[in-house]
Amino acid sequence: MNEAPQTKRPPGTTIPWEEKLEEMPPITGDPELFERVWKQTDSLGYLYIYFCLLAF
Amino acid sequence: MPNDMEQLYQQRLARYTAAMRNEKPDRIPIRPFVAEFIARYAGFTCQDVVHDYEKAFEATRKCAADFDWDATVPNMVFVWTGLTEAISMKYYAVPGIHLPADKAFQYVEPPEEDAWMTEDDYDALIEDPTGYLYNVWLPRVANDVVAPGEPSTMRNNLSFVKGGMAMMQYFGGLAQQGQRLRAETGTVAAIAGILKTPFDIIADKLRGYKGLCMDLFRRPDKVIAACEALAPHLLEVASMTADPLRQVPVGLWMHRGCMPFLSPEQFERFYWPTLKWILCELHNRGIQTLFYAEGEWNPNLKYIAELPDLSIVYHVDRGDVEEVHRAVGHKFCLSGGIPNDVLAFGTPDDVRSACKKVIDTVARDGGYIMDASAIMQDDTRPENLRAMTDFTREYGQY
Repeated sequence: MNEAPQTKRPPGTTIPWEEKLEEMPPITGDPELFERVWKQTDSLGYLYIYFCLLAF
Repeated sequence: MPNDMEQLYQQRLARYTAAMRNEKPDRIPIRPFVAEFIARYAGFTCQDVVHDYEKAFEATRKCAADFDWDATVPNMVFVWTGLTEAISMKYYAVPGIHLPADKAFQYVEPPEEDAWMTEDDYDALIEDPTGYLYNVWLPRVANDVVAPGEPSTMRNNLSFVKGGMAMMQYFGGLAQQGQRLRAETGTVAAIAGILKTPFDIIADKLRGYKGLCMDLFRRPDKVIAACEALAPHLLEVASMTADPLRQVPVGLWMHRGCMPFLSPEQFERFYWPTLKWILCELHNRGIQTLFYAEGEWNPNLKYIAELPDLSIVYHVDRGDVEEVHRAVGHKFCLSGGIPNDVLAFGTPDDVRSACKKVIDTVARDGGYIMDASAIMQDDTRPENLRAMTDFTREYGQY
C-alpha cells in the first residue's frame, strides 16, 4: 500500500463541512469560524464510533 | 536523589525516552504492563476495576507508589464496562454479571454465522467505513441502537447521549489520572493513543477470526481492499489521540498477526502492507509506536526490519528475545521478554534468573525496557513482580 484510497467520507469526518454548508442559509458572519467549529465538533462524532470499534 | 516529584518525573522520562531512542540511559527503565494484577495487589475484584474506573485508577496509583516504576499505563484494564453497558454493547462478558466477579472481563466472539459483519458487507465497508460503522455495525453490536429506517426509540437516543457523555467523562478522568501519576508518584504515563491493525480489527470486531480466515480463501481481494479502506481511518485516530508532545509512543496491540494464526505468506499479503503503511506514516508525523507483538512473531522479523529506525518500540512476547535482538535490536528499542509463567508460578529466584538472562542477552548497550512478555493479569504473584522490579533496578545500572 503506497497511498490512502479515496473514500466517501474522509478520515476525521462524519458529515463533511461541504455537505453541511449546502444545507445552511447564506452565512453573513465569519464563515471560517463556522467551518472550524463544525469540524471540531464533527470530529467528536468521528472519534465516538472509532473508539467504540477500537477500544470499547 | 531528586528532591521533588517533578524532578523524579523528569529523571524517569529522560530514562524512558532515552531507551526508546535505542540509547543507553543511566539504568534500564522499568515499565510493566499490569492489568488485572492491580486489582489483586490493591485488594479489589476484577469487577471493581473494570466497572468502576476510579478503582482501577486508584489501584494503578497504588502500584506506581509501592513499586516505584519509571512508567506505567494509566489504566491497563482499559475497558470500562459501565460505558459499554450504557451503550448496550453485546460483546462483553462482564465480571459480576456474565462471569464471577473475580474473573477478568472477556470479549465474546459470535459464531461465524452470526458475525457482526456479513460476507456480503465488504463493498459497503470499503466504500464508506465510517458510514458502515454507524449505519450497519453499531446497530448490530448494540442492543439499544436501531438501524437507519427503523423507528427510533428512547433507548436508541439514550445510547448515544449516555455513551457520548460517559466516554468524555472517562477520557477526562484518564487525563487527570496521568497528571496524578506525575504529581503524586513521579510516574510517566507509558503510552498514549489508540491503534489497531486493519486486519486485527476486521477479525476482532467485524467478521470474526473464523469468518475472516475463510474470506482469505473465498474473497481475498475484498479483504485486502477492506484493510486498505480502514487504514487511513486507523492512522487518523492514532494521530488524533497520540501524545501531542511526541514523548511517549502510541500503543498498538496486535492479536492475529503471529504464528500460527497467519502463515508468513498470508502475513505478507494481508496483514503487513497496511500495517507498514500506518507505521511509516506515523513515523513521518513524529509518532513512535509501541509494537506489542503478542504471541510468536519471530517468523515476521524480516518484515519488521523494513521499518524506519526508531519508528517502533518492539515488545517481545513469546518470540526468542535473542533472535529479536539480532534481527532488529540495532534499529529499535526492545521491551518485555520475561515469561509470564515464571511470574505466575515461579519463585523470586526464578524471576531474577530470567531477568538476568534477558538483560545480559539484549540490554547491555541500552535500548531495552524491562517488562513481562505479556500483559500481567491476576495470576502474577506480587512477590515475583517485586523481584523483577528490584533486581532490574540494581542489576540494570549502566
